[in-house]
Amino acid sequence: MFNVKPFNVMKVCMLITMFCLFTPTFVLANVSIIVHPSNDSSFDKASIKKIFLGKSKRFSNGKTAILISADHSDPATSEFNSKVIGKSSSQIKAYWSKILFTGKGTPPQEMSSNGEIINAISSNPDAIGFISADAVSDSVKVVATF
Amino acid sequence: MNKLNLLSLALVAALPTSAYAELKISGYGSLIAGKTLGTVNDPLNPGQTRDEILTADFYDVGQYDNDITFKAESILAVQATYSFSPELSMTAQLVAKGVDDFSPEFDWYYVTYQATDNLSFMAGRRNIPMYYFSEYAEVGYAYPWMRPPSNLYWWQVTQFDGAHVMYSFDIGDYSSTITAFYGNEYSNDNVEMLYYDKLYGGSAQTVNEFWTDITGFNWNVSGDWFDLRFVYFQNDRDRETIQQDGSINPYTPFSQTFIGVGGSATLSDFTLLFDMNFVEYDDAVGTEFPTYLVSLVYNWGDFQPYIAYSKADHERTKVPTEDLEEHYMLSYGVRYDFLPNAALKLQYDDFVDQGHEPTGWAYHGDARAISFGIDFVF
Repeated sequence: MFNVKPFNVMKVCMLITMFCLFTPTFVLANVSIIVHPSNDSSFDKASIKKIFLGKSKRFSNGKTAILISADHSDPATSEFNSKVIGKSSSQIKAYWSKILFTGKGTPPQEMSSNGEIINAISSNPDAIGFISADAVSDSVKVVATF
Repeated sequence: MNKLNLLSLALVAALPTSAYAELKISGYGSLIAGKTLGTVNDPLNPGQTRDEILTADFYDVGQYDNDITFKAESILAVQATYSFSPELSMTAQLVAKGVDDFSPEFDWYYVTYQATDNLSFMAGRRNIPMYYFSEYAEVGYAYPWMRPPSNLYWWQVTQFDGAHVMYSFDIGDYSSTITAFYGNEYSNDNVEMLYYDKLYGGSAQTVNEFWTDITGFNWNVSGDWFDLRFVYFQNDRDRETIQQDGSINPYTPFSQTFIGVGGSATLSDFTLLFDMNFVEYDDAVGTEFPTYLVSLVYNWGDFQPYIAYSKADHERTKVPTEDLEEHYMLSYGVRYDFLPNAALKLQYDDFVDQGHEPTGWAYHGDARAISFGIDFVF
């Protein structure tokens, strides 16, 4: 039905290529979601998202989740927020500010280094956090990588 | 905050649970300057002109005129939450506002008891969960605009002493919370009501405004891309306008009901924010206030350009009066998240007063205002 001329197809391809060239793309390491090795709960993207937005308070093993976040300067934070939560880090901060200042919840605790995060999670059976996938160590369990 | 948290986490880890104790300090603030751009015919003094006046904060009567000011809506708040146990905590907010020359006051103080994962209780002083943005109306960082449209968020009472019960549950993939609340507010020396008294040529000593038996509920439902909130409450209203000689103006108490639905929806890079509300008095004239707001925000990296339209109307159903108070505000602006915990904002407001001038209901007058500043959290 459509009589597409090769010339037009080429034009479209060129436009798409140009668009892609001018759209900023960030090539970052993947982000891993980590828990204590003894945590045998099941996780998927939806359940991780609900836990990190404070909408689910417990893991599937029944324990109350303790949330740990990398701090804002860590690229893993924006990677996690965009890939798992689907929002920018500022939007997440705005989301938590309305919850925190109306007394309806507490945002994840921010930690400033991978070592600190791994340390906190490996020593607390109910903690969950995220770090850059290449910073994972044996003392924590990776439940998902995005 | 981080160090304090770490310290308290370390303490919690080191101590037995009976000695559970944790103090968390956080806060928010806005430093905003603004002014109106021209003059108008004074609606209450025909033949005279005055500066355009944009009321940015009705409750505190924070206003912009032709002289640039930081005082109309700048605010600094520090919140402390002390957890006695994982279930029981106490929260207080010390708030300093430009309209009060930044003299700090405890605006919020309440205890929270988390009975189960799904059930919690709060008791103390908090904002009335009226409009969609009422509870965090002063946390500028939490929304894109400079302020929730002030021609809707115009009530002389915004807080109350009360109790709340919150129950959370899932509906399929959606999260849902129902909050029931009850409380009272005896607002002695009400700033907004005294302002109106003076505006209409009065010389009252003070005005005390009473909202009692505030009883109602919110129902919030949220999913991946939307958040929806219903509200219903009713309360009794009474007022004492005390003249210089100590006499009190006669006033007929009445009851009001407030219903509303508001929310947000994010589709692709756009966020739609809306709020529709209806207030009805059981007074002799059948007063009604239908109001709504709709706003579109474009999420463009660290920038959020937006447009907002808010409309407020005032009707009387039991008497043949058509034209009373009526106004709309059209606002354009941009939020720029220049730091991980701070945003720059610039907003232009066009307030159009459509009230009935001969009867004094066009008392706001038209105004165009520019405001800019920083919102932050810590």
